[in-house]
Amino acid sequence: MKTLKGLLMVVVLASLLLSACNQTQTATTVATKAPEVKPTEALPTPAPTVDPNAVQTGGTVIIGTPQEPSVLNPLLASSSIEDAIGSLIIEGLVQVDADGKYAAVLAEELPTVSDDGLVVTYKLRKGVKFSNGDPFTCADVQFTLDAILSDLSQVSTSGYSDIEKLECPDDYTVVLTYAEVYAPYLRLFSYILPRAAGDLAQLDSWDFNRNPIGTGPWMLKEWKAGDSMTLVKNPNYREAGKPYLDQLIVKILPSREVGMQALGNGEIHILWDLVEADFPALAQMKDKGVSYAGAVTGENELLLFNLADPAVDAPADPAANPHPILSDVRVREAIVLAIDKQLIVDTLLSGNVKVGTTVLPTGQFACPQPPTAYDVEKAKALLEEAGWKPGADGIREKDGKRMSLKITTTSGNKLREQTEQVLVEMLREVGIELVIENVPSDVLFAGWGSNGMRKHGAFDILLYTTGPGIDPDSHLYSNYHSDNIPTAENEGVGANYSRYINPDVDQWLDDAAVITNTEARRELYCKVAEQLNKDIPRAYLYERLLLSGYRVELQNLRVSPGPSDFTWGSQNWWLRK
Amino acid sequence: MADYLLRRFVQALFTLFVISIIIFALISSVPGGIMAAYEENPDMTQADRERIEAKYGLNKSVPERYLIWLGNLAKGDWGNSFVSKRPAIQEIADRLPNTLILMGVAFVVTLLIAIPLGVYSALRQYSFFDHVMTTIALAGQSLPVFWFGLLLIILFSVLLKQPNGAPLLPSSGMYTPGVERTFADLVRHLVLPVTMLALVSAAGYMRYMRSSMLEVIHQDYVRTARGKGLPEKTVIFRHALRNALIPIATLIGLDLPSLFGGALFTETIFAWPGIGRLYFDAALKTDYPVIMAVLMIFAALIILSMLLVDVVYTFLDPRISLS
Repeated sequence: MKTLKGLLMVVVLASLLLSACNQTQTATTVATKAPEVKPTEALPTPAPTVDPNAVQTGGTVIIGTPQEPSVLNPLLASSSIEDAIGSLIIEGLVQVDADGKYAAVLAEELPTVSDDGLVVTYKLRKGVKFSNGDPFTCADVQFTLDAILSDLSQVSTSGYSDIEKLECPDDYTVVLTYAEVYAPYLRLFSYILPRAAGDLAQLDSWDFNRNPIGTGPWMLKEWKAGDSMTLVKNPNYREAGKPYLDQLIVKILPSREVGMQALGNGEIHILWDLVEADFPALAQMKDKGVSYAGAVTGENELLLFNLADPAVDAPADPAANPHPILSDVRVREAIVLAIDKQLIVDTLLSGNVKVGTTVLPTGQFACPQPPTAYDVEKAKALLEEAGWKPGADGIREKDGKRMSLKITTTSGNKLREQTEQVLVEMLREVGIELVIENVPSDVLFAGWGSNGMRKHGAFDILLYTTGPGIDPDSHLYSNYHSDNIPTAENEGVGANYSRYINPDVDQWLDDAAVITNTEARRELYCKVAEQLNKDIPRAYLYERLLLSGYRVELQNLRVSPGPSDFTWGSQNWWLRK
Repeated sequence: MADYLLRRFVQALFTLFVISIIIFALISSVPGGIMAAYEENPDMTQADRERIEAKYGLNKSVPERYLIWLGNLAKGDWGNSFVSKRPAIQEIADRLPNTLILMGVAFVVTLLIAIPLGVYSALRQYSFFDHVMTTIALAGQSLPVFWFGLLLIILFSVLLKQPNGAPLLPSSGMYTPGVERTFADLVRHLVLPVTMLALVSAAGYMRYMRSSMLEVIHQDYVRTARGKGLPEKTVIFRHALRNALIPIATLIGLDLPSLFGGALFTETIFAWPGIGRLYFDAALKTDYPVIMAVLMIFAALIILSMLLVDVVYTFLDPRISLS
């Protein structure tokens, strides 16, 4: 009996730890990563590109990470650190660079598209070799496509599954014919696996998974499970004389806090995955030779309003089951007017980020909007107009209904908890009561089958981060299109948790999904972004950043909002001695 | 004796079976799971999610999954990690030596501190030294382990520095990355985690040792030994200590598996690449096969050590028999 109890304790304990620590994990593994973006002026400019003569070659750079990569095969990877470390070794045809733009890597240039948008042609770089000496050709692209579509792959097949045929007219030309237009075609083939990787039926037991072969500047020399990884120069790397460094070491750290100390002490050169809440600590470390690099991810920290009645389980149409308070757009507008976003940014985020204004803040599809006004009087007037009158304790009422709303975010996240407290104060000013009711991230983000509160619409206001990926197509469609309201009928598919329905938005999104012309797509997405700011299913508080800390002696560290993260351009890193 | 062992073995198997059902049910009811990461990705189609679910058998009901797991285990297959895709048992085997090094050293240090101090405290009962030691022991037992660990890190890795500006002692890992692995380097990395483990558990052992010793030195045979005119040293070490150690031996036996439990905190705080850290990471990523394997092995160790204690007891104390 005692044994049993002891074990139960272990399990319970573990689950406690799990919920306590999961915030970090979700933030890093779940976050949909980043669009076309340029780093803002607010960020320190990355180390200037240097006269090659000044480069000091050799040396070892130590990368600290609180999360250990488990696999480096991009088909099996499930966390951001795996994507980032994998990008040191494996390259793609087209990847997202540090400016958030698509850059040709193994392709000579960005692919060309036929007029009907169905035929996409890549020209491959010649003379590229994998670290095992095999030449890189069109056959490797074919192999990669087969691998992505194979049964054991764990990646999204969106776009790839639309490819009707892949042809290799010669070793260095790839011609893809799509069955239907796939608008975000540039996001595909961001990694290439060599034919030598193995048999697709044995994907899970490939050697490649923990010892990948790639065309990138580095190759893995040693992996001490739970402790460290050592990477050395790929002798076959195509850029002569690069990488400049001799060796990279990835060290597993117990926590971000320990990582910050190690960075200040010079025990590590790079610390992966900082968050906005680390700005004060970073400022303190400045005189210890610590700096940071970041990229705007295109995601916003936002308030998500439930337009439907939270008492009804997953209603399909909020018009039939409206939210007693939030269904009125005047109320939502009043909430936005009552929030001083700049104050939140200045006090909680050291002024280092921009206030949120639009669903598409940056990049190729950016649609900047004027910042929302902070106007308490106008907010009050709107609430009066909507019929909400101040009650005895200052909180408004209407037909005996108190203007009290629950706000929910991931528990244990200090920055979010502080944000909530500020919001409570701001909304009380206009007579709205916010009640904080936080839950562990596993509960907040739970799926349909686990009775997830988002999926079933059991909330008033949620506070978390989301935003378009590299291309806004899938994010806008899944978050704002009426097809994507999770209901019992569709088994909870979709992320339109506000249950927002606007036929115009639906139409623009449908139209944008079947054209490849970037300018035409941008116009349609921009219409959506403008309409969203009128209908206010969500309120954007501030723009999120992807951050890494580094020591100033390390040159040329850049952060890409794409999967390669801080490892973008690692062949150019060097240490000033 | 053989009869007894057989009976205990069957009991142990049954206990493990029940434990496995409970753990499996608990783990399966945790929200999230490996699918959560794919749920948030808008590029993942429903077909993609179904394909991945099917790959891991997550589309089956919990009882079905349990039976499959049990069936594989009967064939000696602990399953593959959902995250690293390697056999769960391989993941454990990779890290077991590291845990054994840390725990072994910590255990020896614990006993080296606890036994002499406990004996000395007992011999000088109610002396100033005894009071101080008892107070420290009480404080040590009440200290939250992880808090104490963080305190050590702040003191020895942040505040105190070597002359060249590097921290006095490394705060994490087993070896300094990038340089050749040496024994001295390992020792330096061992200092903080071992201190944390040893001080906290030494406190408990010291108290046990003290009370056990107190009990023994008031026994008739100790008085007799003294009465025979034996030197005090002989009385204490030959007659008193040996008898006082019997209950401590039991305690050590029962405590062995809980050392692995302590590994969970220590390895997590100090990023020691052992089983505790493996378990912690697996729990974060809801890597069921690894969680199951680690917990089942812990459970088996606990049961085994209890059996061992019972058997050893018959040798230590002939008055006890197992029939």
